[in-house]
Amino acid sequence: MQYAFYIGCAAPVKALKYEISTRNLAKSLGIELVDIPEFSCCGFPVKSMDSFAALLMAARNLAIAEEKGMDIIGICTGCMAILSEAKEYLEDDNLRNRVNEKLKALGVKEYAGKVKVKHFARFLYEDYRLDRIKGKVAASLAPLKFGIHYGCHYMKPTHAHGCFDDPSTPSTIDDLINITGAKTINYPNKSLCCGLTIMGTAEDLSFKLAAEKLECLSSRGVDAMVLACPSCCIAYENNQRLIGKRVGKEFNLPVFYFTQVIGLAMGLSEEDLGFEFNRVKADRIREKLRY
Amino acid sequence: MYKFFDREKLKYCYQCGRCSSGCDINRIDRSFQPHRLLHLIGMGAFDKVLKSDSLWKCTTCFTCSERCPQGIRVTEILWIARTIAVKAGRIPELLVTQKDILLRTGRLIPMDNKKREKAGLAAIQEESSVVAEIFEIMEGEK
Repeated sequence: MQYAFYIGCAAPVKALKYEISTRNLAKSLGIELVDIPEFSCCGFPVKSMDSFAALLMAARNLAIAEEKGMDIIGICTGCMAILSEAKEYLEDDNLRNRVNEKLKALGVKEYAGKVKVKHFARFLYEDYRLDRIKGKVAASLAPLKFGIHYGCHYMKPTHAHGCFDDPSTPSTIDDLINITGAKTINYPNKSLCCGLTIMGTAEDLSFKLAAEKLECLSSRGVDAMVLACPSCCIAYENNQRLIGKRVGKEFNLPVFYFTQVIGLAMGLSEEDLGFEFNRVKADRIREKLRY
Repeated sequence: MYKFFDREKLKYCYQCGRCSSGCDINRIDRSFQPHRLLHLIGMGAFDKVLKSDSLWKCTTCFTCSERCPQGIRVTEILWIARTIAVKAGRIPELLVTQKDILLRTGRLIPMDNKKREKAGLAAIQEESSVVAEIFEIMEGEK
């Protein structure tokens, strides 16, 4: 089946390993992700400037996917939250009519409310099913131990996402990673926000939040942090050294995307999983898996 | 205009403070108090809300919304209050820059096709006028 691939603005520039591993993982699972050149910004960055404009932007993307007859699969939690929220808002007939009027001006067919929106991890968990992935695991990752970071917008607001995972004790990505044989830990800061959204307006607070999780996971001896959002990855990987300097610590914590970990267990090559773009290298993992 | 801004719903807030007590920003910066902001907004004291920097400390993690015993969408209200602040001319420098990038390129993070090519990824259309068109339509609203 074909899905409209909502890549977002961060992944194709700032998270090449995420894009590469997602495309190759989907391919080997037989999931067809179709690029849609007409998609625009999801609306997230506009929401603080003009909330109605943001809704209109999200609605335009939904309408485009709907016209093509494809459900949306995305890899950025922010995009998925904004699109899911818009879907919920547009259940209101009056609001949808107003938005549809504007869509006409943008040359887009009206939105009826049929398209489904899912993060790739959620899609694998709910639609593709774990047992099917399990059947494709070629090399067990049993020696490895990960700490999962979900990203707030992965499952929140729960009313917009249909309450598919528990925000205080999330488990869907843990379950996905566990089928590779790898262990995942429960840790006190598991549902803590990465803080990236306020990096530009309250940097100190933003870095303090990120430091808390980095400290917690490094002290628990995990082989890597595993996450599902390019923004969170900027906070924990790209900014890791800078944050380390601020708090006087060297974290040296590898950060992987869930797609890289599942792909590794399925026997995909490091190249196919974009390992060269991991800033903190995968040496520890290689050693433990002895390859 | 602010159809989502449900001030009626704010009457259900009994100031229990559950939003603030579960907020990670409040934990590290006590001056950020979502329940206070809700109170001020509910009272219509927008001036005070718009003058404080608090609105720009919210990470939009939605923890407060999830915790509210009255089902008030706290995050959404604070997020939309930013729109009101911006329209009242209280726009943080960062947003001025971001808006400019969005209007010019249609994306928050400008495309870098050279980097993509090096990584063996297909080029993506660099610029889009969609954001600019949408802002133009919104201008026409006023």
